[in-house]
Amino acid sequence: MAEAVISKEEIMAVFPTVQKTMADALGCDVDDIKLDVSLIEGLDAESIDFLDMVFRLERAFKIKVPRGKIIEDVRGDMPVTEFEENGILTEKGLARLREYLSEIDASRFKTPMRVDHIARLYTPETFCKLVIRAQRATQAAG
Amino acid sequence: MAVSMAQATEASPEGGAGGKGAAGDTGRFAAFSFVDRITAIEGTSRACGLYTIPTGASRFPVSLVAEAIGQLAAWVAMSVVDFTHRPVAALAGDTRMHRLPKPGDTLELIVDIESCDADSIQYRGRALVEGQLILELSDTLGSMLDILEFDSPEPLRADFALLTTTGREPGAFKGVPSPILSDLSGEGGQRLEANLSVPTHVAFFLDHFPRRPVFPATLMLDAQLQLAQRLAERLAGGPVRVQRITNVKVRAFTPPGATLLLFAEAAEPGQHDVEPILIKVGAQAEGRTIAGAKMFFVPDSGETA
Repeated sequence: MAEAVISKEEIMAVFPTVQKTMADALGCDVDDIKLDVSLIEGLDAESIDFLDMVFRLERAFKIKVPRGKIIEDVRGDMPVTEFEENGILTEKGLARLREYLSEIDASRFKTPMRVDHIARLYTPETFCKLVIRAQRATQAAG
Repeated sequence: MAVSMAQATEASPEGGAGGKGAAGDTGRFAAFSFVDRITAIEGTSRACGLYTIPTGASRFPVSLVAEAIGQLAAWVAMSVVDFTHRPVAALAGDTRMHRLPKPGDTLELIVDIESCDADSIQYRGRALVEGQLILELSDTLGSMLDILEFDSPEPLRADFALLTTTGREPGAFKGVPSPILSDLSGEGGQRLEANLSVPTHVAFFLDHFPRRPVFPATLMLDAQLQLAQRLAERLAGGPVRVQRITNVKVRAFTPPGATLLLFAEAAEPGQHDVEPILIKVGAQAEGRTIAGAKMFFVPDSGETA
């Protein structure tokens, strides 16, 4: 899962637009969208809100983010059977997740970690990085 | 205080499952089905269809035109994933109402699908009557859910085969009841609230959906529109009509018999909004917001939604 490090400057460059987009999607104040707030536990986001946010981010940044992109990226080239067993992340899978979601405080990674609970970790910073990765992919595709 | 039931004629929930859409059926593939025939499918990019509003339908709110467009998209989406998943209403970014349809009108339905897979469908669509635009939908997104939760794949495949060949016999839809709003509060202010009592025994629950009855989002929107229109007319000091609805989001399923708290509140239109009146609407179930939208109104020139 080698990729160029995403710098804080890059994150802060996209954050204002991500912040406004998320506030629009969640119907809250822009100031409520802190970089490290949990979208589910802190802002009551639900699965449909994630679909909404990704849709709006695609429009705002003129990027394409396939559905399920975060989980797909976390797993990378790791076979599914190595990544998870019966919906629970394996040790290797959890290590990948910690690496990918490096912005998340370590105390928030629970063991065992269910795959369908990964979204509970997401913060606005997760989506800033998603945007930056999509921008890089777009540039790389020429 | 009850505010809008005058035209209510509840269809009886009779009618067997598995009907082929004959005009006499009132249940599955009849009571809440708004595509009579699919006339063209161009890969996964475009589909066209027809729907005739029955002259005998007791009530056909304008939101059902959007429902018809969404159902055409749903048929295509289900066929794309071989009837393993079906889309459910989730987001409608922008809906523009141009004219009101009337009983007997045949809607020409067109959807342009921007993406479709087992997770979601994204599309835009429009409905025309005799070449004149009635309603446009854009930035529409539906989540795809396991079809077994809602219906059986085999009858759906058979229905789809019928729609894409001879089509079904028009006229099965008998109408929907007017929304039952009560306990209206906030008269005189910038915000109205009312309770919406979702009916329990109405035919559309047999069709929406056969395995899991869900109050259709377009009927919730119809109820929200009535409340918003009441507020908009008071603020405008005269009749208004809805011209545009944006930011429609449905976050949860509503079962039969539920009571929802609806609210409508006046807001300032944005710099780029051409309509003078903006009403934000929402629906709450047990304190949790489950649906919302923005409705834009203009002074009425004769037609009302």
